[in-house]
Amino acid sequence: EDARLPPPQNISILSTNMRHFLTWSPVTIQGETVRYSVEFQGEYEREYANESWIPIGECSLITATVCNITEDISATVAYSLRVRADGGARRSEWGTLKGFFNRNTTSLTPPLMKVTADGYHLLVELEDMGPAFQFCVLYWKKGEESRMQQKMVKEVSSTVHLDTMEAGREYCVKAQTYVDTINRSSSFSQAQCVRAQGDRSVWL
Amino acid sequence: SGELYCSLPNPRNVHFESTNMKNILHWSAPESAGDGVLYNVKYSVYGVGKWIRKPECRNINRTWCDLSSETADYEEQYYASVKAFLNGKCSDWMETTRFNPLTDTKIGPPTVNISSTEKSILITLTAPEKWKRSPDEESVSLLQVYPGLRYNVSVLNKKTKKRWFFSISNNTLVVPWLEPGTAYCVSAQIHVTTPLLHSGFSKEYCTATLKDKTA
Amino acid sequence: SEIRSSFTAIKANIQARDPVRTLSILSHPHSLHRVQSSDKCCIIHKVFNFYVDKVFKHCQTEDTYVNRKISSIANSFLSIKRNLEQCHIQNKCLCGQESTEKFKQILANYEGLNVTSAAMKSLGELDILLDWVEKSR
Repeated sequence: EDARLPPPQNISILSTNMRHFLTWSPVTIQGETVRYSVEFQGEYEREYANESWIPIGECSLITATVCNITEDISATVAYSLRVRADGGARRSEWGTLKGFFNRNTTSLTPPLMKVTADGYHLLVELEDMGPAFQFCVLYWKKGEESRMQQKMVKEVSSTVHLDTMEAGREYCVKAQTYVDTINRSSSFSQAQCVRAQGDRSVWL
Repeated sequence: SGELYCSLPNPRNVHFESTNMKNILHWSAPESAGDGVLYNVKYSVYGVGKWIRKPECRNINRTWCDLSSETADYEEQYYASVKAFLNGKCSDWMETTRFNPLTDTKIGPPTVNISSTEKSILITLTAPEKWKRSPDEESVSLLQVYPGLRYNVSVLNKKTKKRWFFSISNNTLVVPWLEPGTAYCVSAQIHVTTPLLHSGFSKEYCTATLKDKTA
Repeated sequence: SEIRSSFTAIKANIQARDPVRTLSILSHPHSLHRVQSSDKCCIIHKVFNFYVDKVFKHCQTEDTYVNRKISSIANSFLSIKRNLEQCHIQNKCLCGQESTEKFKQILANYEGLNVTSAAMKSLGELDILLDWVEKSR
């Protein structure tokens, strides 16, 4: 029987902002296209379903060496992942990720944010990072860092009203992401400061 | 026993269309059936053993039937079924998928009332009411059906063309420190997180802040 | 909401596999919605255990997409079951007479069908469970 293909090596996970990718090193055979298939196993499958594995349709017999597993890593439990190679008439053993992957280890980055003033109104626009994300927005009058105010914002990619501002004062804003399914937050973004419209006395 | 010979093509696409829990059964006529087709409708509560005929939808020629009253308890789930008759022939009973009024209804936009002063506008929102059998029946707001209901409010400054959004859970919003003598347009949407439902945005309602008396 | 979106993705497929309209596991003869608030935590704990221990393993289908969504729901239930166990350990989730009776009824409904039909019916009734759990939050 021909020698089996070597299993894929260097299997690892790249996970940022709740988007998870499995990657591995390519298996090469002279003159053959090698294809890969990925399967996952959650804690449920290990403990209640005879350690069964579930194929990921989008990563069956693919030539790429990366697979987006985000949709399947949809619970905060420990997952196992494995990859095998097919080339010509030969197939490798499964290469399995060392250890488990739990999405609560994803790295969270501060959100992109745009702060604007419209008259006396402090506004913020936050990037859309997906349904799992909320944003904790802190804002304060410049120089009064001890009197920060907080607002949880879920709306994204639209201009959200934070508060009204004192005439002529400068206000600063910073934000962090919060993911309640893993109960973790990112670090805060850089603060952005804007100035309210000038003297209000004209309207009093 | 006068059993009809059921070789008529079946009604198609039998499904519920629901807005604010006004639940209407709809279907399409059997293929190439021509005119004169009549229909009977029945429904059942999921988990309960019997089909119940809808007398008002017996031998009807229209292709819808209002089952709002029969499906008013949104803690239950339902099936409905339609049978077609033509020239002594009939079709099979054709069923809906399981209908869950709580998750399968569309939510209408809130009503928006606005008033303005020189420097602010007051926005008052009212969530739609759940369908009710008669005008004198007690009204149930969708706020009571969906405790997590919130409003997304959009405020457009017609001069600067800038649009701001507010997300609120109570039904009034005061937007202060606006520019005098400026037109603002407001529209609002309902958003429920569990189950995930949202209405479209309401029509836009515009008002202008009063002119600055001192200017 | 992740469970809800996973279930919504396969609801029509799963419910279509349950031809028995006249029986329910969760909602008849006693509705979850009639449970007293003091017993809710205990019933939620028991029902989540029931799904993890008994239901999901019998819900394999020929459709890999459906199986992936069932796995997603099962692993989410396992994660919640773990959290609920903490409540149970700290005596915050006490089981009264009513919840014991109610859960007995659910098991009786379940055992009244063959295991695959019962499991598929239970899975198809997840929105009944979620509607009730979310209402009582």
